[in-house]
Amino acid sequence: MIYFDNAATSFPKPKVVMAAMENYFFNIGGNTGRSGHKMAIEASELVFDTREYLAELFNIKDSARMVFTKNVTESLNLAINGFLKKGDQVITTSMEHNSVMRPLRYLEQIGKIKIFIVQANQEGIVDPVAFEDILRKEKIKLIVLSHASNVTGTVAPISAIAQIAKNYGSHTLIDAAQTAGAYPVDVTADGLDMLAFTGHKALMGPQGTGGLYIREGIEIEPLMRGGTGSNSEREIQPELMPDQLESGTLNIIGIAGLGAGVKYVLEHGVMKIRQIEMDLTEIFIRNAAKIAGVRLYGPQDINKRVSVVSLNIFGYDPSEVAYTLDRDYDIACRPGLHCAPSAHKTIGAFPQGTIRFAFGPFNNIEEINISLKALNQISKRKE
Amino acid sequence: MSAEFFIIFQSTHDVIKAKKALQKAYIAHEIIPTPKKVSAECGMSLKIEKTVLDQALEILRLKGVLFRIDLL
Repeated sequence: MIYFDNAATSFPKPKVVMAAMENYFFNIGGNTGRSGHKMAIEASELVFDTREYLAELFNIKDSARMVFTKNVTESLNLAINGFLKKGDQVITTSMEHNSVMRPLRYLEQIGKIKIFIVQANQEGIVDPVAFEDILRKEKIKLIVLSHASNVTGTVAPISAIAQIAKNYGSHTLIDAAQTAGAYPVDVTADGLDMLAFTGHKALMGPQGTGGLYIREGIEIEPLMRGGTGSNSEREIQPELMPDQLESGTLNIIGIAGLGAGVKYVLEHGVMKIRQIEMDLTEIFIRNAAKIAGVRLYGPQDINKRVSVVSLNIFGYDPSEVAYTLDRDYDIACRPGLHCAPSAHKTIGAFPQGTIRFAFGPFNNIEEINISLKALNQISKRKE
Repeated sequence: MSAEFFIIFQSTHDVIKAKKALQKAYIAHEIIPTPKKVSAECGMSLKIEKTVLDQALEILRLKGVLFRIDLL
């Protein structure tokens, strides 16, 4: 089987990820912070270490400002619901995933917030000037956008947008679902207020892991309140990070795996991983473009994207192509709208959607060639 | 026997941060369940001897760990 669905979840994972989870399961056990015995201390150290690796990867000064969640959707919901108050105004873009759109639209629906949408161009590129045009006229509390589109792989100029936001006293929440581990993210240099990420994609961790970074000075309301192992004599939620936003037992076995995944990424280097992925992406795009009837989406410039490629073959339903690739060629990719209807409207692929290929560092050139050959054969079937 | 001090924290994160910093500096310490009479901000505390107390506190301040101390 050839796996090109790394934008949904990465596969395979490095062996060290499972080894770390096994080590926790068989040898560590213990819950974090709930007791003071050796097994509890070791579990707490494991969680601490994963937090530190993530802080190193994203250049977060104090790892206590990074809280664990079960996925990036929870991170985004925590940030959006915890930060916005009644009457606040928000900017987002036409390229967003439903993990951003749905929590925002819900708050709009109940009359809590007002949303302004920055329209991306057909390549999925947003212009920082468009954000400034809105900020000049409106008081905006928060700008929410994805670092890279899960449909076209288009990378947004988050550093420029964050700088503009700061100039107008606004804030940024970045959805790094498709970039964390695959493209450099530096919360300090980029000047980000909040960063939401998932553990099971380019960070190589297991499903059920994710996190949210919140800059010092920004306060958000928890989604849940409960036991934290701290301030136990009080019936009021502690305000100290990370405990304030991490009620209940953590996914320690998942965090063990995530720690090993992030360590793997740190050891290999984000830029080296990106190089491998983008070399494959470049070859795929260049050759797919030559196939009659293939329409590619996203930026021409390889530097403006991650290894996510959407395409269509003229005359075919995307699901038909994906089904054929799976059945006849053992190639796994994803057809449809990828939970981002607005992005498909933006690129001109609504309502049919696209076929999405997302390459990872464990893919190779032979697999790319097989898929190009397959696409070529499929495109000829309807001629 | 020299006097023993407790370093008390507000969260597990700070306990582990302190433990790692002291370990790195080869300062003897022990993690123990916080004695009831001290308070219970966090279930774990660090027990440390007077002879290395000043050195330990300096390291923790440098690392930005939130703590307070209590005498047994």
